[in-house]
Amino acid sequence: MLYLLLGTPWARHQLEASMTLHMLVQMPLLVIVGITACRLLPDCWRQRLLDGLGGAIPCVVVAMFVSSYWMLPRALDAALTEPLAEISKFITLPLLVGFLLALSWRRLTLIGRGFVWTNFFSMLAVLGWLYIVAPVRICNSYLVNDQQHAGWYMVILATLLFLWWLGTLLVGDGGGPRKPSIDTDRTPE
Amino acid sequence: MASYTYTPTPDYGAKAGVLAYLVVSAVVLLLMMVFGLIMRLEHSQYTEIGGLWFYKLMTLHGAGMVGIVALAGAAIMWHFLRQYVELSTGIFIANLILFLTGVVMILASVLLGDFHAAWTFLHPLPSTSMGLWSEWAAAAFMGGLLVIGVGFVLLHLDIARAIITRYGGLGRGLGWPQLFGPDDGNAPPPAVVASTMVTIVNLVGLVVGASILIMMLINLYVPSFEVDPLLAKGMIYFFGHVFINAVIYMAVIAVYEILPRYTQRPWKANKVFLASWTASTFMVMFIFPHHLLMDYAYPKWFLIVGHIIGYLNTFPILIVTGYGAMMIVYRSGIRWDMCSRLLFVSLAGWAIGAMPAFIDGTITVNYVMHNTLWVPGHFHTYLLLGMVAMVFGFMYYLVKPSEHATDSAIDVAAFWGFVVGTMGFTLSFLYSGKMSVARRYAGHLPEWIPYDRIASFFAALLIASVLVFIFRFLAGLGLAGRDYQRASLARSLAT
Repeated sequence: MLYLLLGTPWARHQLEASMTLHMLVQMPLLVIVGITACRLLPDCWRQRLLDGLGGAIPCVVVAMFVSSYWMLPRALDAALTEPLAEISKFITLPLLVGFLLALSWRRLTLIGRGFVWTNFFSMLAVLGWLYIVAPVRICNSYLVNDQQHAGWYMVILATLLFLWWLGTLLVGDGGGPRKPSIDTDRTPE
Repeated sequence: MASYTYTPTPDYGAKAGVLAYLVVSAVVLLLMMVFGLIMRLEHSQYTEIGGLWFYKLMTLHGAGMVGIVALAGAAIMWHFLRQYVELSTGIFIANLILFLTGVVMILASVLLGDFHAAWTFLHPLPSTSMGLWSEWAAAAFMGGLLVIGVGFVLLHLDIARAIITRYGGLGRGLGWPQLFGPDDGNAPPPAVVASTMVTIVNLVGLVVGASILIMMLINLYVPSFEVDPLLAKGMIYFFGHVFINAVIYMAVIAVYEILPRYTQRPWKANKVFLASWTASTFMVMFIFPHHLLMDYAYPKWFLIVGHIIGYLNTFPILIVTGYGAMMIVYRSGIRWDMCSRLLFVSLAGWAIGAMPAFIDGTITVNYVMHNTLWVPGHFHTYLLLGMVAMVFGFMYYLVKPSEHATDSAIDVAAFWGFVVGTMGFTLSFLYSGKMSVARRYAGHLPEWIPYDRIASFFAALLIASVLVFIFRFLAGLGLAGRDYQRASLARSLAT
């Protein structure tokens, strides 16, 4: 439903009217569509699919490259002016970012997830800074002040997401201590 | 009400990875100390290396020392923490490899590329060399720091994973259920609490550090993407101050774990202990503005917060740890050997070293003292007699031949040489600061030279003592990996 709604001319017009809405609302929603779609699949299908795709790491790498591409101003312009690019955005963001990330997430250890998160926070903040200080208008379709607003929102979003992530680490899953897998009088291997 | 009794814990030898960390640390630490001595000799006009080499050595000394004490601290933390949680050896080794890669990049940048903008690499200096170094040299230096930072991020993510898996969250790793609820005596051991704190603050610091490094690297090649110098300074000092603060919180785990083995008294992770670590977890991230107090362009509230938090954060862990150590030792009949001596004196060094920072954190003092040798006096005391003493104490512990082994006269002489050398060396810095001797100057005025010469003498004494420590450690490496009782039991306990 959300996917279809996002694809309507009215929603596209509204969400692509500003760079902020385009980058920080429409695109994340497309990714969420992919995540949701993946979660609707039965566990066994997901396992088979993940094994078929070569495991978690290739999926994460593809997701990172595709999401990086859609952060480029040129890609945003293309999506607004070329129907093929717009269609590819509606396909690749849910399928190659959201779906693949959700598919691989369970297989990633906390180190893998943490690496993805910390890389995402610092890159989002740096990208935001690039948009703020860019000496030129980087998108033909958006004004300079629009790109600066988008940059500030990215910096703020990166900060808030980082604090949220740290909060989840502090609180944990609420399940309390696990049964120790090693004990103190075990000789280290 | 929780009751605390000492539970004897097995005395494990160090794994090969820990020993690799310590050997690298010992060698680099000695090299950096020699660089430091050369700089003081230059101030004393005993040598004439010139401005270029002085600043190159200063850059290497600063970046090298920050990195190497972090590596040594990580070795201590990992060695003890893995006795409570399951850590990944692969990640631990990956951090060492990334560290060494970063070191090679930094060495190439400074020695081959003539980069000498100090470890602080304050913007816009790296990109505005006026022909003294090239773009690639600045990029290699910042890239090297970035690579080292990535290694530490991986290490801390692994520690976070292990603590969350074992305890259910980093909050539980800090003992929050016992801190905010009834103390059932099941709080995590001090080693886990300290590692949790370090992991939280370093992850925050490293993400901020990586961000500013990337921003400056972009600016280096595309100058039209301008970086606000004040923002850059704030981010660099946030990252740098958090990172260098964290090293002593890693190394203090040696005190928590080893001293109780000598006296068979428990180090209590009680509410006061837990509260101090939780308070410092947050405060340590807000004290860096005491390096920015002279930057009047910052908002006043920001500087005032730095001033107040700087005052507050000086004490919690320091008092709890110092008091705890005294309670462990008081009337215990402890047998003093090189390890217990170094660990105990490290707490004094920590306390003494924190005081000049406390004074310098006062805005009115900061205006006249911050750019003098007072500040190097602070961090050299704090690190040398505090953190580095903990590292050497740990090294002596690992290579102690048996619980009944006694120290040779050379070791004892080296211990006193280390203490006297460090105190003389750092007091020369502090006194020079009092006399308004500027810091980061390659050449000194004739009036300043007597202090520099006194400092050089004590620095040489200190290095001679450290040579004995390192020789003893390297000579005893064969013992360091074995599992056996090392701590000499206190007289009241020995049978």
